[in-house]
Amino acid sequence: MQKLSDEQLENLAQDLDAIRNEHMADLGQRDADHIRGIIRLHRTLEFGGRALMPLGFIPPFLLAGMTSLGIAKILENMEIGHNVMHGQYDWMNDPELNSQTYEWDTICTADSWKRTHNYEHHTFTNVIGKDRDYGYAVLRLEDETPWQPKHLLQMINFINLSVFFQWGVGMHELEFEKLRSGEVTLSEKAAFLRDFARKGGRQVFKDYVFFPALTLPVAPVVIAGNVGANLIRNLWASSVIFCGHFTEEAESFTEQECENESRGHWYLRQMTGSSNFTGPGWVYTLSGHLSHQVEHHVFPDIPAYRYREISPQIQAVCEKYGLHYNSASLPRQYATVVKRVAAFSLPDRMRERLLPEFNEDGGQRRSQDNSASLVSRLRNRVTSTLSAAA
Amino acid sequence: MQEPVSAERKSDGSHSRLFGRDTWRWLGQQIFNRQNPAMYFDPLLETINPFWAQRYIPARVEAIESETHDSKTLTLRPARRWGGFRAGQHLNLEVEKDGRWHSRPFSLSCAPSHWEQDGTVTVTIKKVADGEITPWLLEHFRAGDVIGISRAYGEDHTPEPGDPMLFIAGGSGITPVLSQLEAMADRHLRNPVTLLYFVRTEADVIGGHKLQTLADSLPNLDLRIVAAEKDPQNPDHLGPQHLQGVNGLTERQCFLCGPPGLMEHAQNLLADAGVPDERISSTLFSVGPGVVVTEDAGGRVHFSRSNITVESAGDRRLLEEAEAAGLNPRYGCRMGICHQCACRKASGIVINQHTGQASGHGGETVQLCISVPVGPVELEL
Repeated sequence: MQKLSDEQLENLAQDLDAIRNEHMADLGQRDADHIRGIIRLHRTLEFGGRALMPLGFIPPFLLAGMTSLGIAKILENMEIGHNVMHGQYDWMNDPELNSQTYEWDTICTADSWKRTHNYEHHTFTNVIGKDRDYGYAVLRLEDETPWQPKHLLQMINFINLSVFFQWGVGMHELEFEKLRSGEVTLSEKAAFLRDFARKGGRQVFKDYVFFPALTLPVAPVVIAGNVGANLIRNLWASSVIFCGHFTEEAESFTEQECENESRGHWYLRQMTGSSNFTGPGWVYTLSGHLSHQVEHHVFPDIPAYRYREISPQIQAVCEKYGLHYNSASLPRQYATVVKRVAAFSLPDRMRERLLPEFNEDGGQRRSQDNSASLVSRLRNRVTSTLSAAA
Repeated sequence: MQEPVSAERKSDGSHSRLFGRDTWRWLGQQIFNRQNPAMYFDPLLETINPFWAQRYIPARVEAIESETHDSKTLTLRPARRWGGFRAGQHLNLEVEKDGRWHSRPFSLSCAPSHWEQDGTVTVTIKKVADGEITPWLLEHFRAGDVIGISRAYGEDHTPEPGDPMLFIAGGSGITPVLSQLEAMADRHLRNPVTLLYFVRTEADVIGGHKLQTLADSLPNLDLRIVAAEKDPQNPDHLGPQHLQGVNGLTERQCFLCGPPGLMEHAQNLLADAGVPDERISSTLFSVGPGVVVTEDAGGRVHFSRSNITVESAGDRRLLEEAEAAGLNPRYGCRMGICHQCACRKASGIVINQHTGQASGHGGETVQLCISVPVGPVELEL
């Protein structure tokens, strides 16, 4: 982790607080108009998608309906639900946009989300062992966690998590890995499971029973279309979220580093543990402005569309304190995520040799060893393992 | 600004609704994740026609008339589903200013017959000089605009024949009295009525024209307007001398409405004169603080759901106050990040320790873990 002195941390906190206060003082009609515009767009796309779906036996209509409903779900989950639940619009005093009462269009209940995401993830961002969002307990993304043979297959977990993302998020609070290790018991999770079943049941009923039943003769088409829409949302949402913290240069932290941390240290961790991606404006909107994950983690409760305006201010702060502002295009960031998942599926020594860019020193040693081809490095490794065994 | 504090909300009676209502709600939960599915359509419906909005009751501003230099009467035509009101009741105006929703209570200043006969009602708004909402309300709206209102609420003061009555009103506290007197005129009641109306100067009389008309149609109305500060050297505030002229005082039904000082004084005077408590009813109107209190923090904190009241010395955040009082509010980071502890504040001012900013004094959501009360605060906890 990049180190700053206590004095620097204090100045960092002051600088960021000043930016925060500037925007909080400026909240007003513009922000209200923005979120209402998004909500109108969401409703239009959802109604449009649901209306087109029964005509889905004509392929272009199925495609249009699926896309329309998929984008609606993306907007609702990311630009509306996620941001409203962060309290970004609480100041509007609008009961429909209140962080305490908003319930979103996904399996995960709003209450469970606020506990695991708003509290755990945003407070203990990227702290190994405390932030369960870092790898979602199914991905090994750093070498603090000891390697085990099962990690060899984690690319399959990665694909499953992407496809069934809303179920993964919904089940997140079950803490399956802790249940298995006996750290928590099933009875402690009874209340969670009840809420999960109720909300999950609702979501399944809506997309796979209610709307198909309304259009009974074409029910299979509607079911297929709704599966498609949910899949579109799952793949997009998971990609955006993975790009927020799992990219090549995003840092992770140990619990010791964060004991009794100051607000400045918390800010530092948010800035170095998060990563942005760039793209056209519609990509920002569809990502719920998690394209600006750094800004989001520094100011989780400022209306997210402002992150675009805040970005230059944060970059200036990064420059002032010599911090790395992690930002690249979406495909590039996603590629580094896949690379990281692949890299840490390998045993440490193999990874260190094959993918030295994930080493602590960022792969400096590699330049001295550039003669070694992949094959020769593998051969060396096999020989040394064999000789060690002998 | 006027705020009837004694107002009790009219229950919406939803528990007694039919099966259809429950089904509708159940379906709303399943399909739209909200209790009132109608609200899901609001964002589109209100762009087509503002009268289709479901989250508040829309009312069209028919006319705006100046009463005095700092007050105006708005004639409103609410959507038919509004449901009407009783004399002496209040409603909230629900308005959006700079992206924030504000709800402010005002008394209806006309008789229910207006609503029944031509579908309009009037509210009279007096400007609080340093207030946030009332000056804006009086400037912002034009005839033809649509404004949100709540259902009517508050005690039913429909006048009954028989008992002699005494009204003591101060300033804009005259508005519910106008409603009651008009209702009496509608019913051709002949009860002896005395109205003691205290204003600063004669230019501050609200509803002067209406009062003159009422004096003609209510033969037993004894109208006494007291301009208390007409002569600044020799002010004429409410005192025993004003009550002495009221015949059969102890037999009268008394109704008080005005600023807190006047109300308290009137209560004491009536009690001294031997009027039994059950004959006195009052609507407390207090002036909302437009100036942010910047003195030392601390005050009485009332947790309304658990009905616990504590005295805050201002040295702890509200979350800690609640925990010290034995409550278990939901919380998370305890440093203002996660909004897990966000809680609805019904009234009172809190200071946000992050920004140093003071909140408004009305209902809104606050973060308990970084808020310190300044003066009395009521939390829905």
